[in-house]
Amino acid sequence: MTKLAALLGFGAILLALPHALSFSQQEILVFLTINVLVVASYRLLTLTGEWSLGHVVIMGVGAYASALLSKRLGIYVPAAMLLGAGTAAMVALALSFPLFRMKGFYFLIGSFAAGEIIRLLWKRFREPFGGPKGIKKIDPMPDFDIGVYVFDFFEPISYYYFALAVVGVSLWVMWRIERSPVGLTFHAVHWQDRLAEASGVNVRAYRTLAFVLASGFAGLSGALLAHYIGTINPNSFDVEQMVFVLTWTIVGGTATFYGPILGCVVLTVLNEIVLREAGFEQMRPLIYGLIMILSVLFMPKGLESLVRGALSRRNANRKMTGETEATE
Amino acid sequence: MIELLAQTGLNALYAASYTALVAVGLVLIFGVMGVINFAHGELFMLGAYAIVAVYADWNLPYLVAVAVGMTFVGIVGLGMERAFFRPLRDNPLGGLVASIGFLMILQALVSMGFGVRMEHVPPVTQDVIVITEKVRLPVFRLAVILAAVVLLASLWAFLKKTRFGWALRASAQDPEAAALQGISINQTARIAMFIGAALAGVAGALTAPLISVNPHMGHSVIVTAFIVIIVGGIGSLEGAVIVAVAYAFVHTFVTTFFDGVIADIVGLLLLLAVLIVKPTGLFGSADRA
Amino acid sequence: MAPPILEIDELTMRFGGLTAIDRLSFEVERGAIHGLIGPNGAGKTTTFNVVSGFYKPAGGEVRLRGETISGLRMHEVARRGVVRTFQHSTLFAELSVLENALVGTHMSFPPNIFAAMAGVDKANRRAARARAEEALDFFGLSRLADELAGDLPHGHQRALGMAVALAARPDVVLLDEPFTGMNPEETRRMMELMVKIRNTGVTILLVEHDMHAIMGLCDRITCMSFGRLLAEGNPQEIRHHPDVIEAYLGGARHVA
Repeated sequence: MTKLAALLGFGAILLALPHALSFSQQEILVFLTINVLVVASYRLLTLTGEWSLGHVVIMGVGAYASALLSKRLGIYVPAAMLLGAGTAAMVALALSFPLFRMKGFYFLIGSFAAGEIIRLLWKRFREPFGGPKGIKKIDPMPDFDIGVYVFDFFEPISYYYFALAVVGVSLWVMWRIERSPVGLTFHAVHWQDRLAEASGVNVRAYRTLAFVLASGFAGLSGALLAHYIGTINPNSFDVEQMVFVLTWTIVGGTATFYGPILGCVVLTVLNEIVLREAGFEQMRPLIYGLIMILSVLFMPKGLESLVRGALSRRNANRKMTGETEATE
Repeated sequence: MIELLAQTGLNALYAASYTALVAVGLVLIFGVMGVINFAHGELFMLGAYAIVAVYADWNLPYLVAVAVGMTFVGIVGLGMERAFFRPLRDNPLGGLVASIGFLMILQALVSMGFGVRMEHVPPVTQDVIVITEKVRLPVFRLAVILAAVVLLASLWAFLKKTRFGWALRASAQDPEAAALQGISINQTARIAMFIGAALAGVAGALTAPLISVNPHMGHSVIVTAFIVIIVGGIGSLEGAVIVAVAYAFVHTFVTTFFDGVIADIVGLLLLLAVLIVKPTGLFGSADRA
Repeated sequence: MAPPILEIDELTMRFGGLTAIDRLSFEVERGAIHGLIGPNGAGKTTTFNVVSGFYKPAGGEVRLRGETISGLRMHEVARRGVVRTFQHSTLFAELSVLENALVGTHMSFPPNIFAAMAGVDKANRRAARARAEEALDFFGLSRLADELAGDLPHGHQRALGMAVALAARPDVVLLDEPFTGMNPEETRRMMELMVKIRNTGVTILLVEHDMHAIMGLCDRITCMSFGRLLAEGNPQEIRHHPDVIEAYLGGARHVA
């Protein structure tokens, strides 16, 4: 009951939040919402123990596919977004054949190479990818009216609500997957792939499944991004973006579902709002880099370890009071 | 046609020389410390800016600037080792993130100090050796090639002939056994980091007069170096040198006869092919990953 | 006589120039407890690794109920009914005891991602959970169900390793040194459990160093030395076999 109340309260805050922000902060909020989906999908990928450096490029596959489908074939934008997600998942499935011959560090490097090849193909082929300049004037979301609220996608607030709904549903699906026997099998593959295999788990199939699912959600986030900013190019999905995703994930911690999301939110707010407001415009990357180093040095288990510490203290207190009640 | 081939071959040799310096440094750091130094491209960039400051701005002799750059970047490497690679020795992913953080710091510092615009370093010498009408080798490029050969040869001699070199190779092969032999891991890590960083710095310093220097120039260098060390086999110095030369030739020829993007794609496809067929690289044996 | 459930036929395995198993042949009867012994380096664990599909043999075959299983991958071998445990305490140390056993039920109750997302796999989950709890109960681990597997004492970890294997309801279970690190009391209890397992119809093939346990437990014993078959027979025959005595004494002298 209290859980439901907390959830509703959190939802109300998320709905009210943009009204307390300036226009530029609202725009950052939209990007942040999309990035939450990127890091959450990245964690789904890492559940089986593999770290990829191609995730942002896969996100770009979703963006390019959705942009091209709506622009060239005139497909209704929300449908194009779903098809973009599907395209990203299919590309991941094709990549899984060479990539899952590798493990660990080699998978990391292999995924980087595969991603760079895709990016260079966008750069090289003006038709249909637009070459280095990418795709411009991507169709925006068509406005619509749901009775209680009119979505006018010229406003960041409207797009924020739309993205919030898409990301919320996606997170809920990922959460259910992780809590299911499929999720347990992902963990088993991660911690002891030999024992999992001896228990009859097709380890490679499960690695592929996690990769394809995560890529589908990454593709969806790319599509959300493309139809919001309206222009994408190969550099929108380069290693630098990947480094941000990696950093959010590691600084947040990957042991829990919320760890990477926490990392993404905290670091984005710090970077885009606190440091900007404090007037450190030029020094922002410097301070950001310093925070990265300090956090891995002094918080190797991520931000989530702080939250878990606080939670377990609270539970310990509750347990003690519960026990005294029981003895009475 | 033969002349074009010869000219492209000379260009490739020049590209190979600085690629090898960067890649060998990266391999040395990975071999001894087991960490991927993502900031290696920025150490290259620092070496180039040392030339901008000491040679172009202060008008000191070029060779002095190279020596200053090499030493300075080596010392930066020592600082990195002490500040985060050492505390994060058992956490390779953490070391990687810390080096990414450091990369951002270096880029920001250089942008603040020099501005983000491209710097052009005045040429050291304009002399050109004319081999035939269409095959020309600028003297400066020849000097870069020779310097790389001399540096790599002396590194080789250092590793094979000296006690420090022996300790370095021992701890690269098996850190625990080396520690039992009384080799200080901290000391070998310091030496590896200093040499590895200094090699990246000197590579940047040597190429600075021939390329446009900017705070983000490290990116393409690190990508190339990664390809080279993976294909060569992580931990194999000989492999890194051989593949650096081979890669530079493939890349330069494809660039000349097709275009640069195709050359990058070819390089990455080669990398993927090697990873699929022999993940430990062409010259690698021990699996350290 | 019933046909053997498992046949090892002229099996050969090489690593580089080294021949770890050299044309090894033996058969395991259905419902038997069959021991595989031999001095260190005889190739026992390598044999396990080939039978379970972890290695592909260089020559020869392994047949289960007459069907060739050598060369299949480990999960494919497992799906045909041969499940193994590992030396040391190979477990999902970061997962709870119950979750470990649940992974063991993977084959009987394969997860379905669409059913999981739609929430229509409740019956499947309940059945898997019941099976896992039953396996834990069998090994006396029920009250530890919520502990992390990595936090268990050694003896319990070994038992959990077997519970994971048994939760899969295999026809043949391969146990790699199940008694290592157990005190005599734990060993005695584990021997009783193994007899109980066999009585449910599971065939057991085990590698073990504890001669006392092997002799007291096994119906039949195969002794290997340097990758080859040295002797085969019931515990009485093996105990008095001159080649076996020679191999172990030779080994002992070497150790001393």
